[in-house]
Formats: sequence, C-alpha cells, structure tokens
Amino acid sequence: MTNADQLRHAIEQIAAEADTAAVGVAVRDYEHGSEFQLHAERRFHAASTIKVAVLLAVFRALDEHRLQLDDPLHVRNRFLSAVDQTPYRLDADSDGYAPLYKLVGRTAKIGDLADCMITSSSNLATNLLLDFVTVEYAREVLRHAGVSGVDLRRGVDDQKAFRAGLNNETTAQGLCDLFGVLRGDFLSKTSREAAIAILLRQRFDSMLPAHLPSHATVAHKTGEISIACHDAGIVYVPERQPYVVAILTEVKADGAQRRETVAKISRAIFDAIVGTSAP
Amino acid sequence: MSDAPGLRAIDGLQLDDEHRAVLKPGAEVPFADGVVHSLPRFFYEVPSWQAAHEIEVAAHFKLSELLMVDCREAPLQLRQFPHHVPCAIVLLARYLELFRIKAGAPVFVAANGGYRSPSHRLNHRESMHQWATAANIYRVGDTYLDDEAAIQKYARIANSIGDEVFVRPYAQGDDHLHMDIGVVTLTPRELNEVKP
Repeated sequence: MTNADQLRHAIEQIAAEADTAAVGVAVRDYEHGSEFQLHAERRFHAASTIKVAVLLAVFRALDEHRLQLDDPLHVRNRFLSAVDQTPYRLDADSDGYAPLYKLVGRTAKIGDLADCMITSSSNLATNLLLDFVTVEYAREVLRHAGVSGVDLRRGVDDQKAFRAGLNNETTAQGLCDLFGVLRGDFLSKTSREAAIAILLRQRFDSMLPAHLPSHATVAHKTGEISIACHDAGIVYVPERQPYVVAILTEVKADGAQRRETVAKISRAIFDAIVGTSAP
Repeated sequence: MSDAPGLRAIDGLQLDDEHRAVLKPGAEVPFADGVVHSLPRFFYEVPSWQAAHEIEVAAHFKLSELLMVDCREAPLQLRQFPHHVPCAIVLLARYLELFRIKAGAPVFVAANGGYRSPSHRLNHRESMHQWATAANIYRVGDTYLDDEAAIQKYARIANSIGDEVFVRPYAQGDDHLHMDIGVVTLTPRELNEVKP
C-alpha cells in the first residue's frame, strides 16, 4: 500500500469528526499482497462479529464430519452462563431474527441456523450452534487456524458474564485474520464457498458496503453493542483479487451516525486500495 | 406382525451388530442406588418418517411426535430407516393421552423429549428416555412450560394420573415438564423371550 500515511490520516480525520473514542483497522489486500494497520491490536468487545468465529467452527466441524448442514438441532431458549453455569434465556424482542423463537421445542437445520446467525444476526441461532459445537471446540478451531486476535469465551447475551467482565473480544487484526482464514484453504472448497455465500447474503449493509460502488460485493458481518460498532469482511471487486478489512470502533453517537463513520472509513480504504476513479 | 401400532415388532437381540451397538437391547444398566435394570429388548420397526407421521400411538399422538430427535442422536437412528423404538412407547402414549384429557388442551413433546436411544448424547444411564417411557412436554395448548408457575400447574395434573407417574421437580431455568412412568418394558405376545 503506497499511500498508507494518507489513508491513516483520512481515517483519523473521519474518526475525529465523529467524536470516535477508539478505532481499530486492519486490511489485507490480496491483489498486491499488502497490509495496513491502525491500532489493529487494540481489543474491543466483539459484539456480533464473534458470530464469524462460530461460523468457522461450524464449517470446520462439517469438514471433520461432526455434523451435516441438514442435520436437525433442537431449538431451545435455555443456555448456561459462562460464569457459573446458571441458566439464562434470550429476549426475542431484542434479537435479530424473532421468528426463530417460534420453533422453540422443535428442530431447525444447522445450515439454516448458520444462515440466520450471519444474515440476520440471530443470537438464538448463535447460541444454539455454539452450545452444540461447544466453546472449547470453537476456540480450538481458532487456535488451529492461527487466529489469535479473536477471543471467543461464551455465548452471546450472557448478561451475568457481561457484568463479570467475561466478554468475547477481538482486535481488528484478529477479525482480518479470521476472514483471511475463511477465504483460504483452512476449510474445504465446498465449506469455504458455502460459508462465504452466507456472508454475502448479509442483510445489514449500512456500514462496510454502504458507500462502495455498486460493482463491489461484500461478504461481511456487523457487530453493535453499547458503544461498540464494527464491521468486517471480504470486499470483492471485479478484475482484481479481493481485500479483507476489519473496522472496529467505539463511538458515543447514535446508531445511524456511528454506522456512517464505519461506512466512511470503508470508502476511504476502498479509495486507497482500489483507487478513487470508481464511481 | 404385532397389532399394537401396526408395526412389525422385533427382538433387538436379533438385529445386526451395528444396530445392537446403538440400541443395546437387554443391556444391564446399574443405577446409582445399586439397582440394575435391563434396557428394552423388543422394538417396533419404523420403516419411514412418513409412516411415523401416519401411525397413531394414541388418539391424539402420532408416533413421530415421540421420535423427534436432533443430531445428538446416533446417526443410525437419525439418518437411516428403519428406526427402532421400544414397544413400551405405546404405554407412554396412553399416559400422554390421559394427561391431555386432564389438561384439557393439546400436549406438545419437545425434540429429544420422547424416545432417545442409549447412544443419544443427552442420555445419562438412568434416563427413562432410553426406555421410551419419558416425555419432555414443552407446551400445553398455548402455554409454554418455561416458568415455574406453568410447570408446577401441569406437574400437579401429571401427578394426579397415578402414583406410577414421576414428575421431575421444577429447577431454575427449566423449559419443559419431564414426566415418566419408570422402567417399563413390553414384550409383544408373539415374540419369544428365550434369548437366541
């Protein structure tokens, strides 16, 4: 990346204008083999970006014949806190995909749950899948994949764990590495293509892809909780290799404004990597 | 042929090695109190999922409702047919029918909440689900049994059926009512109990 200083300056300016408390950015461009980092090792609450780690674990388990995507999984709204193993429930009203709660007591296919977890950011689907593959297995997959910057410690919306400070955390570099693993050869070709297809169906497009030209497609996952506002993914542009990007922020501004900040940073990165001539 | 649910009854001891490894017919199970019980030996053979959907094991219960499992079940019982279910499943269904009458509303059994083979990952050695004599009820009518009041209400109704019905006491976070009729095995009259 020849204009790294310009990009760093542009990101810092966008962050300052939005009164951003913290920003972490990591980029890996597969076209030129270059990288860019800005506070890339700072740890953030992972919010829903942790679901990408669960996705990797599910598809690794598929490759290891531990499960099949059309396997049924019992849908229960009952999970055990990582702090003391006491049961807790998720709130359907604050979940990204409330219809899944109608299946409580019955079963859903693992492939459908994986889709829900990413495209609709379903907390229930996430915890069901993580409960099945287990946190220990998912951590082992991350370790085996060489992703050290993503610290998966528990299911989502575990309030007791949150109050105890036991959270899923990530760095921008960790998420960048994780998406790099997803597009590399860690997974089988079939699993890789299926996982990325899910990420390409992402419904929440107000950050990474928002200001990119229409010919760019993005396989990504957002994450928002409290003051954390993140997006990370793989950006595909015709006639060139993709780049992987992770933008993590802590912003006090309301939802729409803070997403706009991430969207602007995404555009600045696109301009620096692909060029400003794009519409 | 057995005339109970319109399914063929078989002696589990005459199944192939693969099925016997999963179903453990007649295997002795030592309980924590030192008592030893034998797992079911006689099974109904369920030829297809469609058959399970069509067969009524009680007036308001299809066989499929008591067979729904997830991928924690052994692959042989999850992905392949025929499935095998202990013959006592018909007794469980009769008790569920009694419970339904007393509750005055449809009764819904959760996935993994009916028969689970001894190889099902959720089973512990004393789980009545491997005798097909237990049911996890997650919903009665429009009421989800996910709080103490709802579970206690229907636990009292289940208990009123008879002393042979066991209802697990409510524990924090429960999302279903567990009821069972204990260790019961059923031998269809046409099958020989002399071991092969």
